[in-house]
Amino acid sequence: MSDYNKLTDDLIDQIRAAANGHILTGEDVSDDFSRDEMPIYGTRTPDAVVQPLTTEEVAAVMKICNDNKIAVTPRGAGTGLVGGAVPLYGGIVLDTTKMNKIIGYDLENLAVTVQPGVLFKELADDCTKQGLLYPPDPGEKLACLGGNVSTNAGGMRAVKYGTTRDYVRAMTVVLPTGEITHFGSNVSKTSSGYSLIDLMIGSEGTLGVITELTLKIVPAPKKVASLIIPFEDLEAAISTVPKIKMANLNPQALEFMEKEIVLSSERYIGKSVFPQKIDGLEAGAYLLVTFEAKDEDELNDLIDEASELVLEAGAIDVLIADTPSKMKDAWAARSSFLEAIMAETKLLDECDVVVPITHITEFLTFANATAQECDLTIKSFGHAGDGNLHIYECSNDLTEDEFKNRVDTFFEKIYAKATEVGGQVSGEHGIGSGKIKYLRRSLGDTNMQLMQGIKKVFDPNLILNPGKVCYTPED
Amino acid sequence: MEFLVCVKQVPDDSVEIHLNPETSTPDLSQADPEAGAFDTYAEELAVRFIEENEGSVTVVSVGTEDNKTCIKNSIAVGASSGYVVADEGTDCLDSAQVADLLAAAAAKIEEQEGKKFDIILCGKESTDAIGGQVGPLLAEKLNLPLVENAVEITSVDGGISVKQETDTGFMMYEIATPAVVTISKPDYDPRYPTIRSKMAARKAKIPTLSLSDLGITDLASEAKISSLGFEEPKKRQAGIKINETEAEEAVKKAMDQMIADKAL
Repeated sequence: MSDYNKLTDDLIDQIRAAANGHILTGEDVSDDFSRDEMPIYGTRTPDAVVQPLTTEEVAAVMKICNDNKIAVTPRGAGTGLVGGAVPLYGGIVLDTTKMNKIIGYDLENLAVTVQPGVLFKELADDCTKQGLLYPPDPGEKLACLGGNVSTNAGGMRAVKYGTTRDYVRAMTVVLPTGEITHFGSNVSKTSSGYSLIDLMIGSEGTLGVITELTLKIVPAPKKVASLIIPFEDLEAAISTVPKIKMANLNPQALEFMEKEIVLSSERYIGKSVFPQKIDGLEAGAYLLVTFEAKDEDELNDLIDEASELVLEAGAIDVLIADTPSKMKDAWAARSSFLEAIMAETKLLDECDVVVPITHITEFLTFANATAQECDLTIKSFGHAGDGNLHIYECSNDLTEDEFKNRVDTFFEKIYAKATEVGGQVSGEHGIGSGKIKYLRRSLGDTNMQLMQGIKKVFDPNLILNPGKVCYTPED
Repeated sequence: MEFLVCVKQVPDDSVEIHLNPETSTPDLSQADPEAGAFDTYAEELAVRFIEENEGSVTVVSVGTEDNKTCIKNSIAVGASSGYVVADEGTDCLDSAQVADLLAAAAAKIEEQEGKKFDIILCGKESTDAIGGQVGPLLAEKLNLPLVENAVEITSVDGGISVKQETDTGFMMYEIATPAVVTISKPDYDPRYPTIRSKMAARKAKIPTLSLSDLGITDLASEAKISSLGFEEPKKRQAGIKINETEAEEAVKKAMDQMIADKAL
């Protein structure tokens, strides 16, 4: 068992003073702080929630917790899907959502400095107003930027622009010991020792607490349009993806989706956008592709070229969303998949495996067969352009224990398959507490030990977010 | 049935609009123009009608030459022809002026295409000014029957049956044609253009009707509204948090505050 200390009244008073009173205790700690959006990985209410406003408050609180071996779980908006923000060992939750200021833009260097609690949507909207684009585009628009960085969130535009990692220039970090340090700088290249900033990105709050971020932004594309491309089946849809990439059409987003999940999402949002039957042919799967261009002529050329290519590759038709409303409606259906599944499902788990794009069809066929073998209902969609698949396991009739057992068997098999074809456990959601076992198997002991060693260097008392990614106190 | 659908080009309503500090007019630079939502429902309703029966759909838009993009989008989803009314001053008109131009344009298009419109459709309101006046004014100017907020039109002997959405349910009307009908949100969404229809629409010729084409010499005299200027809505002030733990004290504090603010 872990040997974290209990939060005594005296320690609470010390933390309250260090955080200038920004602390919730007792009945003020709501259940929301006990969970993220995937409660199947366990829930636990923290002993206290600290809601700091400044880096200095975070540092002062961390020092007290480090000196007294109190577990600290950093948390943003709590929209994670792997249990990352759940305080499994009690102690305090460090909620960064009150640090929510967009500090300022450096337009000449195309960068913006923000506090970690700014929501993704707030920054995206603020950039849009100024003709700028913050390229990462995770499905959950109400996540905090600190959380996005901590999970290296990907999203729809990763196929063209890369993931959050590619847009983090610099950060201020409070180490578990309470020291304040800065990683990275606002430059576009560096060869200056180990990249500590890259260690922080995707570390899921296990190495330090991010209190300020400088993010890269780009000028917004002048013209965008999306194509809804129905195919008779998933295989036909997926086999078109490498052709689109090889043709150098450089789509901004390239998503695949099967008919069932589209219908479920359209029911949820109350709109019907994706065609089900075209000229007597039933659509079984779709690609949703976005292109961007500097003017209308260039955009039309891209649309025409892409349409010709996909029709030749077996698409039933090509529908064009080139007005703001039509684009919004097409993407609203895609963005609501998770909420639509949640609304129709009592027990839910998820795998966000990533495989080379040439193995998507093979992997999904394997996953569907394995689900049948395990007697599990699954719903899949994903980022066809980068091989990141979201496979949801759903049940409305199994007991929780039975569901977990079947999911575990399913996961063991499909993660092994992912490793076999050169894939990784998580494309963008992270490891949290839910996927450690599968990560260990996928990476092997050597790599896990390297990660644990790094963890120990940053966090010698192992107080920060225990039970996540690579370290559990019971090991 | 021959349909004329009147379409207004409006800024994308999902973008938050602020005033340009230099001109004190709305800064629309980040809001791409598109057809008003209710106008697109009107187009879809008309196209569905002619697919089930027969006839054709013509679209017309008052504004500038830029409105041709929006007309081409209409042609890509089933309209057979489209026109823009564009001339000096036609980009900034009130509802009465727009209705006047649409009435003249309807007559001109009928003359040019050698047909009579049976049904003139407008969206029930635009998504920018939300006046909801153009349809009724147009019916008045053309001296035609009018039904507002319709969600369904079917053909009956001697005219059409129109299902009107009301606050409490639906009203059914049977009216003679020609008629003007304004359209609310039906229980379906406008279709998406296909690549083939889009490519064809790009090549479509969209004639421009000038004021002189329409025989209008004095546009200004029709104006019923003059704009005095624009102001941004006042920022909402932060609320007052009542932290009293006892219900009685909390209610008293809330009441006192409301009395002080003259809300009670």
